[in-house]
Amino acid sequence: MVLTAPVAPASAQRTDRPHRSGLWGELGAGPGRVRIACSGCTDVVTAGGVTSYVRIGGTVSDRVVIGFEVFSLLDRGFGFLSADSTSTAETATAAVVVLWFPSRRGFFFKGGAGIAAGQFTIPGTAGADTSNNAGIGLTFGVGWDFAISRKFAITTNFAAYVTAVGDVILPGRRVDDVIATMYQAGISVTFR
Amino acid sequence: MTGPLLAVLMAVQFDSTPKPHTVMAIAQVALINTFVNRVDAWVFKQDWARSGTRVWGEHLRLGWEWDEDAFTTNMFAHPYHGGLYFNAARANGIGFFQAVPYAIMGSWTWEYFGEKYRPSLNDWYMTSFGGITLGEVFHRITATIRDNQATGRGRTLRELAALPMDPIGSLNRLVRGQWRARGVNPPEHNPGSYVFRIGGGVRVAKRLIADSTSARTGAMLVDLLYGDPFATEYRSPFDVFGVRLMLSSNGGFSSLRASGRVYGTNLNNPAHRARHVLAVNTRYDYFKNPAQSVGGQSIEIGINSRWPIGSRGYAFRTSLFVDGILLGAIDASGTGLGVRTYDFGPGGGARWEFGFDRHGARFVRVFGQWEYIHAVSGATADHIVDFSGIEANIPITRGLGIAAHSTIFHRISRYSTAPKDERNYPEARLLLVWTKASGLKL
Repeated sequence: MVLTAPVAPASAQRTDRPHRSGLWGELGAGPGRVRIACSGCTDVVTAGGVTSYVRIGGTVSDRVVIGFEVFSLLDRGFGFLSADSTSTAETATAAVVVLWFPSRRGFFFKGGAGIAAGQFTIPGTAGADTSNNAGIGLTFGVGWDFAISRKFAITTNFAAYVTAVGDVILPGRRVDDVIATMYQAGISVTFR
Repeated sequence: MTGPLLAVLMAVQFDSTPKPHTVMAIAQVALINTFVNRVDAWVFKQDWARSGTRVWGEHLRLGWEWDEDAFTTNMFAHPYHGGLYFNAARANGIGFFQAVPYAIMGSWTWEYFGEKYRPSLNDWYMTSFGGITLGEVFHRITATIRDNQATGRGRTLRELAALPMDPIGSLNRLVRGQWRARGVNPPEHNPGSYVFRIGGGVRVAKRLIADSTSARTGAMLVDLLYGDPFATEYRSPFDVFGVRLMLSSNGGFSSLRASGRVYGTNLNNPAHRARHVLAVNTRYDYFKNPAQSVGGQSIEIGINSRWPIGSRGYAFRTSLFVDGILLGAIDASGTGLGVRTYDFGPGGGARWEFGFDRHGARFVRVFGQWEYIHAVSGATADHIVDFSGIEANIPITRGLGIAAHSTIFHRISRYSTAPKDERNYPEARLLLVWTKASGLKL
């Protein structure tokens, strides 16, 4: 017994890992809510939307995995004014994320930082005006891997994304220093 | 207010084993925020500190904005404050990576609940990421200054010298009786190898005081290379870091830069004479001169190489790094809405260095750095900053030497609604320096 433990094959050690090991990936979607604030604005605009995300990464240790995540939110009925719901708002965040599993169960904390982009499309008489911007993105959240098999899991995610995308220039209006905060509840398929 | 502060700090005296004390660390982070808020409200009568449940609710509803504070406040004071959160964790036995959430959450709670102003996104970035870099630098420098084997007045002076850089760690040690008790030093006490340089002299530059004339001011340099990427195999984050502080008699900080290795690995066999080492660093930058006030928090990845010459310890040394700026700041005209005179934005760039050293102590150093910042708050602008220079250190006697530096700062800013702004700022420094190096066996 003393001799067998150190010479256990690599595949056996790998299956002992409580959660993700080696290369892993995750694809998911879910409802989200966005809150848009700006400099000089006395109030914020909130709206619902559809979110989707993909993550891919590797393993740092038994408890820590690192990956790259792309997250997006789409709202086709957005408006910067409360009476308006004719615009399309899209935001995307590409971030390096770290997932920390504090125990051998599937629960994890997530944190990450990266870049972000925002696109706001306003229909008008001469077609559509689009404002594109790039900026910074942060994300934090929690999740749980529910194992289906050794290779697959269903993962739930609750996350916040803070993206700052600069000035949005709309027909007849300029919105300065836009910061979009998104809250997302997602469910995903994870191979691990 | 001092009651709860003392209560928590008194409790730590029963808590002096090296295992992590999560509850104590969280309590001290909360206490830092409460203490700073109440001192500002009660002692300094600051209206912004009169926060309460109504304000908290409003902040939770409205969320983030960009603030209008002074450059030095945002780019130095906030990272220093973040270092307090980070070191509340480190002083309670929590490791580097585990201490990161303390800086992030300490700043988040301050922004939402500590002041009447709306939460500031730039503060959150600078306090969190700057606090991690400066906090770990201060944690390791103070661990080196403090000596648990020392006694008497020398011991007290060491503890006092560490206090401004790591006040939370110093308070914990004071309450635990560790300012006097003899014991084993932590691993960070011995960097393995280091080069420490301190010097003073003159700084000569055009546009330093007036636009057209050259002027002379006093200058002071503090330079520390803690560990060496070739002498120290990667063991833990910041086992190798460099920090440089430059002070000027006409304006305080002219630069503060810290860069620490969070991961490293050999790219070739360590037994080879020529060595190549990969490093991932976190970096803190703060530069203030007539061409640019620029700073930020970055992550860089690159290769350090060293090529020995002969058998007397001489070698060429090169570095090549690319970086991503998580959030930077640069002075800009037409920044816009409020009193702030600089832009915030992410970016990226690269830096290179070529040096000549003996046993790790550099005699000549030629370097350059280029960075791009895209403004997301302030003017609608793209900024390119670059600086390059040459530094020579000429030994006179054992430890003492002359340092001659020549640096050119340059920036180009392109605005969507204003003319292009291009500025040059050449600067020369002549300093008498004292160098202390130890443990370098390269």
